[in-house]
Amino acid sequence: MTSRLDGPLKVSGRAKYGADHNFPGMAYGYVVLSTIAHGEIEAMDVMAAKSAPGVIGVYSPFDPLELRTPSSPVFGETWVPLQDREVTYYGQPIGFVVAETFEQARDAAMLIEVSYRPRPALTSLEDGLASAEDAQPTFGDSPPSLAVLAPGVESIEDALAESPVVVEATYTTATQNHAAMEPHSAVAVWDSGGLTVYSGNQGSDLQAAELAGALDLDPSSVHAVNPFVGGAFGGKGRTSAPAFLAAAAARALGRPIKAALSREQVFTATAGRAATVQTIALGADTDGTLIAVRHDSWCSTPADRSFVEPTSHGTSREWYATPNLAISQKMVPLNIPPTTFMRAPGEAPGSFALESAIDELAVALNMDPIELRMRNNSTAPPGKDLQWSSKHLDECFHVGAARFGWANRLPHGHTDGDWLVGLGTATAMFPALRFPATVEVTLQADDTAVVSTSGADPGTGLLTVLSLVGAESLDISPDRITPRLGDSAFPPGGMSGGSTATASAGSAIMIAAAKVIDDLLAVASSPGSPFDGMEASYADGRVLAGGRTMTFGEVLRAVNHSSISATGSSAPGEELSKHSFSSFGAQFCEVRVHRWTREARVSRVLGVFDGGRIINEKTARSQIIGGMIWGVSAALHEGLEIEANGRLANGDFAGYLLPVNADIPEVDVHFVQYPDTLHNPVGARGLGEIGTVGMAAAVANAIYNATGVRVRHIPIVVEDLLDQ
Amino acid sequence: MSDIAGHPGVYPVISRALLLSASQQLRNMASIGGNLLQRTRCTYYRDVAMPCNKRQPGSGCPAISGANRMHAVLGTSDFCVATHASDVAVALVALGAEIRLVSATGSRTVKLADLYRLPGDTPEVETDLRPGELISEVLVPRLDWASRSTYVKVRDRQSYEFALCSAAVALDIQDSRIVDARVAVGGVATVPWRLAAVEAALRGAPATPAAFEAATSVAADGARPLSANGFKVSLLQRTVVRALLELTEGSG
Repeated sequence: MTSRLDGPLKVSGRAKYGADHNFPGMAYGYVVLSTIAHGEIEAMDVMAAKSAPGVIGVYSPFDPLELRTPSSPVFGETWVPLQDREVTYYGQPIGFVVAETFEQARDAAMLIEVSYRPRPALTSLEDGLASAEDAQPTFGDSPPSLAVLAPGVESIEDALAESPVVVEATYTTATQNHAAMEPHSAVAVWDSGGLTVYSGNQGSDLQAAELAGALDLDPSSVHAVNPFVGGAFGGKGRTSAPAFLAAAAARALGRPIKAALSREQVFTATAGRAATVQTIALGADTDGTLIAVRHDSWCSTPADRSFVEPTSHGTSREWYATPNLAISQKMVPLNIPPTTFMRAPGEAPGSFALESAIDELAVALNMDPIELRMRNNSTAPPGKDLQWSSKHLDECFHVGAARFGWANRLPHGHTDGDWLVGLGTATAMFPALRFPATVEVTLQADDTAVVSTSGADPGTGLLTVLSLVGAESLDISPDRITPRLGDSAFPPGGMSGGSTATASAGSAIMIAAAKVIDDLLAVASSPGSPFDGMEASYADGRVLAGGRTMTFGEVLRAVNHSSISATGSSAPGEELSKHSFSSFGAQFCEVRVHRWTREARVSRVLGVFDGGRIINEKTARSQIIGGMIWGVSAALHEGLEIEANGRLANGDFAGYLLPVNADIPEVDVHFVQYPDTLHNPVGARGLGEIGTVGMAAAVANAIYNATGVRVRHIPIVVEDLLDQ
Repeated sequence: MSDIAGHPGVYPVISRALLLSASQQLRNMASIGGNLLQRTRCTYYRDVAMPCNKRQPGSGCPAISGANRMHAVLGTSDFCVATHASDVAVALVALGAEIRLVSATGSRTVKLADLYRLPGDTPEVETDLRPGELISEVLVPRLDWASRSTYVKVRDRQSYEFALCSAAVALDIQDSRIVDARVAVGGVATVPWRLAAVEAALRGAPATPAAFEAATSVAADGARPLSANGFKVSLLQRTVVRALLELTEGSG
């Protein structure tokens, strides 16, 4: 196990995050937000702000900073602020004040008087269900609605009607925010070479491209730097409003600009997770064998319909063997802050619904919920011929049941003093993906090597993985590797998202390392070199031929090279036509509910995961633990309440609760390790998101076991368990 | 707050109320007088973009029809439904504590319970503190039997969160009968809320779960639930019963 290489810097305060950068002459920007949810800005009185102490610039839709709408080939367009007077949600960036100090900018921003021509706002998902629209096709071009029916079956309703046991229920999940520790922020500096932006994000080359698009610059003249990211979770995949505004204002004013959102602003001026409504019907034979699965999904989406939370596509589409499957995805455009990817988008809220429904089916069948899940284990997604490349979900359940003491679970829980105690479980799955990534490997004359890519380490442990896979690929010890990331000057590493970075960058490292070793051997055996004309080979950091060995550094010094480099690229390829790929896991949870006052507290959690090969167990465990805590948090704490006027009633850390240490018990994590080299040469599948999948359902199922109360929404709070 | 919470002579109800407040870091810095005079956590009071009768008299109270799950069911008015957020004030009101107020012109001693004003039609006036007055002392009457006392706080997470409902309880039990009782609740009222009727019902009753349930049936009398906080009516009684049981059964 290798400790996180960036750990000592982070815990001692020496890691320099984006907003930690300071430059001579730097000014500070403060973002102004709308206070209505829908309408047109009639006027903004900025006179008082402009004449306030220290103010050097006030920008608004009436006096905008010039920004174009950038578009990415994969993720589409990104909204940029101040370009029109339309307001489509409460808390939308509508102004930017720049002053000599942060406090001056903030105080001046408070002086701006905005008048609106309001229009009716639709802010409630429940109220909007009647006006739901079909979602646009999700990634993979799946149509919003699809059905897989057994031969001779006319409809999913027929299949359900012929099922001896049917459960059907509607589940809802709350609007959430990533709530990363580091607020969205940026420091922008212009010089003769162009623009440099220091801003936490999930892919520096992608951020550089978005900024170049927004500012109409050649991509080569934008430099994005983010060696450290204070949490992202999907919320920093796109360039943030303060980064666009700081970059544009820095150009307009000719000074470095720092801009950071306040914690309250992060809740509206970035993007979060959509609320969802899901109706699931499961039909089974009396032995538990699934006959039909129907999963209809609705989610909120902002007015521009820019994101869909694909709950049924993310779960029921693939999770269980069933001869009949019908899923649908609709969206409800609302005047709410933007939604985007948030750790396990689709899978996290989808698994709350599906895995609660499976638990309800187990109750209806009077069957152990683990046995029911194993009974319906799939070898391939329903209706697809491509089998799972490597699936050990049953082993996860076996190992987990033994570690957790599942055999001691009683059908109606047990009591411990005044506490009602219950156990719950759930399946976790998350697709194994790869994104295109390029990595450069450089051998240096001092016998060290550098592995570099522009990708981000938003706390995932990628920096450490670069070092470990680099060392393995070059057959040298990790302490001789210098890993570098988070800089758009490095080869494009793409997005740290979708739980892809280890598999994507790791595969690229293996390719780059093989190439640089080939190049080294060619140099070593070239005319005039130490192994002139010999058939040389490489092992253990050394070149071997003719009974002699030299380190690669010795070879490079002998031929007067300071270094030798090669790049390698990896991307999803023909493996996609041969197998289906996913990570798997079994979640276990023990919950205690007070007999009188009905608080639910999690007292034990265990997750057992099949994520292929584990490159670094320490950072892998950290990822999973964080994900599992996210699941507990979604189950018992997190939920944004959107008022009728679009205001977030609890958009700050006083009202939007996250668990504290006292809420989280010891988190037990176990890996069953089966390298999946059918997916990628490294054999590792993603772990960043699967830890949160299923956990909310495991909590809800444990609460049912403890109390007999089935709660079909999250978060679950005291009043849900009180008989009023 | 940390110093008093850790002092051996302090009644359990006080030290527990303090230990369940805020975080260790905040308790290390916070003063008792400051805690007693803390302002409400009402989200509308804290957001200057919103109307609030307490912050801007006459501007209206969005909580009455808005997000009011955390708001009060007791002591409310048509002008304000914000809860008083202090924990230790609930314990002190239960024990009948007094405070000494000093100013340049002299000093006076008042019951802590009398310091707090119901919102009525002037929610901007929260206390009877006069201009220039400071809280210089908190005087807790000697009540030897308050060694049997506790504070139960029900909340949405285990620490660092305000109460949905809390109960400060002290019982004087002799020969399995309740001789005297002190009960106050927090998180449900606009001021620290003493339950004199529950105390009266407990006096003379046996110290049994059934008697506790009977005595607390009047706990929420007069409650005016809002759209999202009706559960506090039930939770209020349950919290007091739990606290009484913990005092007598030693369970927790």
